[in-house]
Amino acid sequence: MWRQHRYKMLFSLLLLLSGLLLAVNSGNAKLSNEFDWLDVLGEGTTLLVAIGWLGLIISSRPAGRVTEWLYYGSLLLVYSYFLDLLDEFIRYPEHLRLMSWLESLPAPVGMLILTYGLVGWHREQRAINRQLRGRELFLRDHQLIDPLTQLYGIEYLQAVLQREIELHQSQHKALSLLVLDIDNFAGFNRRHGMAAGDTYLSRLSELLSSQLRHSDLVCRYAGDRFIALLPNTALPQAQIMAQHLRQQLSQLADAQHEPVLTLAEMAVQQHSAQAALQQAATVMAQAKTAGAVTLQPS
Amino acid sequence: MSRRHFGYQDKVLLLQHGSTELLALAQRRGAVLHKLLSGTGIFEQDLHKPLGRLHHTDWLTLLQNCRQQVQSPELPYLLGSALLNSRYISLCQSLQYAKNLRQALAQLYYFRHQLFPCFYIRLYQQQHCIVLEFKPALGLANQQAFMLTVLCSLLLGLIKQQLGTLSGVSLQLQQSAESPALQQQLFGGLNLSFNQVANSLSIPLALWQQEFNHANAAEFNAARRTCRQLNHVLPKQRALPESVCRLQRRALPQLLNQEQIAAALGLSSSSLKRQLSQHQTNFASLLDEVRRDAARQLLRQGNYSNRQLALKLGYSDEHNFRRAFKRWTGLIPSSFKGLFNFN
Repeated sequence: MWRQHRYKMLFSLLLLLSGLLLAVNSGNAKLSNEFDWLDVLGEGTTLLVAIGWLGLIISSRPAGRVTEWLYYGSLLLVYSYFLDLLDEFIRYPEHLRLMSWLESLPAPVGMLILTYGLVGWHREQRAINRQLRGRELFLRDHQLIDPLTQLYGIEYLQAVLQREIELHQSQHKALSLLVLDIDNFAGFNRRHGMAAGDTYLSRLSELLSSQLRHSDLVCRYAGDRFIALLPNTALPQAQIMAQHLRQQLSQLADAQHEPVLTLAEMAVQQHSAQAALQQAATVMAQAKTAGAVTLQPS
Repeated sequence: MSRRHFGYQDKVLLLQHGSTELLALAQRRGAVLHKLLSGTGIFEQDLHKPLGRLHHTDWLTLLQNCRQQVQSPELPYLLGSALLNSRYISLCQSLQYAKNLRQALAQLYYFRHQLFPCFYIRLYQQQHCIVLEFKPALGLANQQAFMLTVLCSLLLGLIKQQLGTLSGVSLQLQQSAESPALQQQLFGGLNLSFNQVANSLSIPLALWQQEFNHANAAEFNAARRTCRQLNHVLPKQRALPESVCRLQRRALPQLLNQEQIAAALGLSSSSLKRQLSQHQTNFASLLDEVRRDAARQLLRQGNYSNRQLALKLGYSDEHNFRRAFKRWTGLIPSSFKGLFNFN
């Protein structure tokens, strides 16, 4: 990420260097017994923290408007704190006001700019949240995201499902689940290679999260099983959605109609996430045997 | 002695036997190649050389890097099945064409130095099952659980592919369950238990002789020939801790001291000590481990008195044995036996 910000870094270095040159030129060094070490410690720490902010911004944010605000705000803070630290070692002549202005003015301006940047960041986060809908419900924990499909896994689903069950039951609303299973995915991996399997999974997860509503949540329950949580949805509605999904999913299969997907829907009546997920496994097993029966020539 | 052990400097692993699969899996999950390779001594341009090699410590560093960069609990399972189905590993190809599980596992065990030789196996029979107990053959540090999962995923994948069922197979793991539901899902329809005394996989007798789906003697022999040819470039050698345990185990009830073992392995006593410490272990704890396993096995087999056990394990008297046994299991031998008879 920092490679995007080379010019910014160069500019900051030049700015700090010019500050240093200015200070050295206009003042003369203090004797070592005049140093106030407590002040040096306090101001040094502040400076280090501000530099740490700059580093974090550079290393984690892509270039853009919000980044510029955040960056230049913090840079002004760094500049101000830097001069502040320098004056512990350098004494300026009484008549020169420039240095004390340079010390105290950039900090508040920098704070204002930084605040403006934070407001922008807040807006941006809201936009990202909108973008994430269908992949995330009330909880966020980036360690639980599956890096391949960018969906949450089983632990996340258990936590969210428990909360949703309690909410829905207290409000007497219907909650449904869609369970999607890839038949014999290990076989698919074996025939087409692991890379093809991984590509298929990520395409499938893209399609799933784009085809469901914003309020729904898709999770990767196991290697080859996905579960979608449909809040506020009764079984008939879930069946319609499942039908719609089946049509969409048929696009994904290749020429040999591989791999075969099984999709089942269920209404959650259980009182715990554990029981509901067990029920989901049973429903899936039933759907698979039913599918096997219909495929046999009669 | 033909069975050599490998030192710290020896490059005993082929890049094509695992590393390329692992790297591909991690890269598809968003990891960056140069970060994965950092600190490993593997060069990017070597990755596609057919006989490129690496140290076993490089492999451990590589695993560490992968786990840092890719937060994916399914990684070891995928690696196991990728290894099993890799076209570059003739050993794994040969497993698929074996006559039955017995032949496949014998083949895997004989040529195990061609994959990552991090576990060795002790076999015993228990009721209607044959149990494979996995012992770490070298210092794996904190990668042991990962490698064990890779191995189990490979074995279970083989059984599932070739026999179509996992019924009756059960897996006991020493580690505590981090997320049992997830592990259960990933292993798929297997009897799984945690916090056990040993890492072991028990397979019903019926499965051992059942014919494999793709059994093919000609293909098997061809693949085995390739494995033998590979033995010329990749000589059969074991990790040092494994060799030490093997020697000590054979010598029981006599106890070998460090000099004797070092002499048998063609090392000086101090370099044995140094090399063991590179595997994060030492001579005394290996000796202790050998005796612990032997004691467990003897108790499982028959009804020995403490005195007999102490003699068989080279303890000077039964009190010392009792004390050691209490340290290993937290139980005195008699209650351990009781535990066994009731089951």
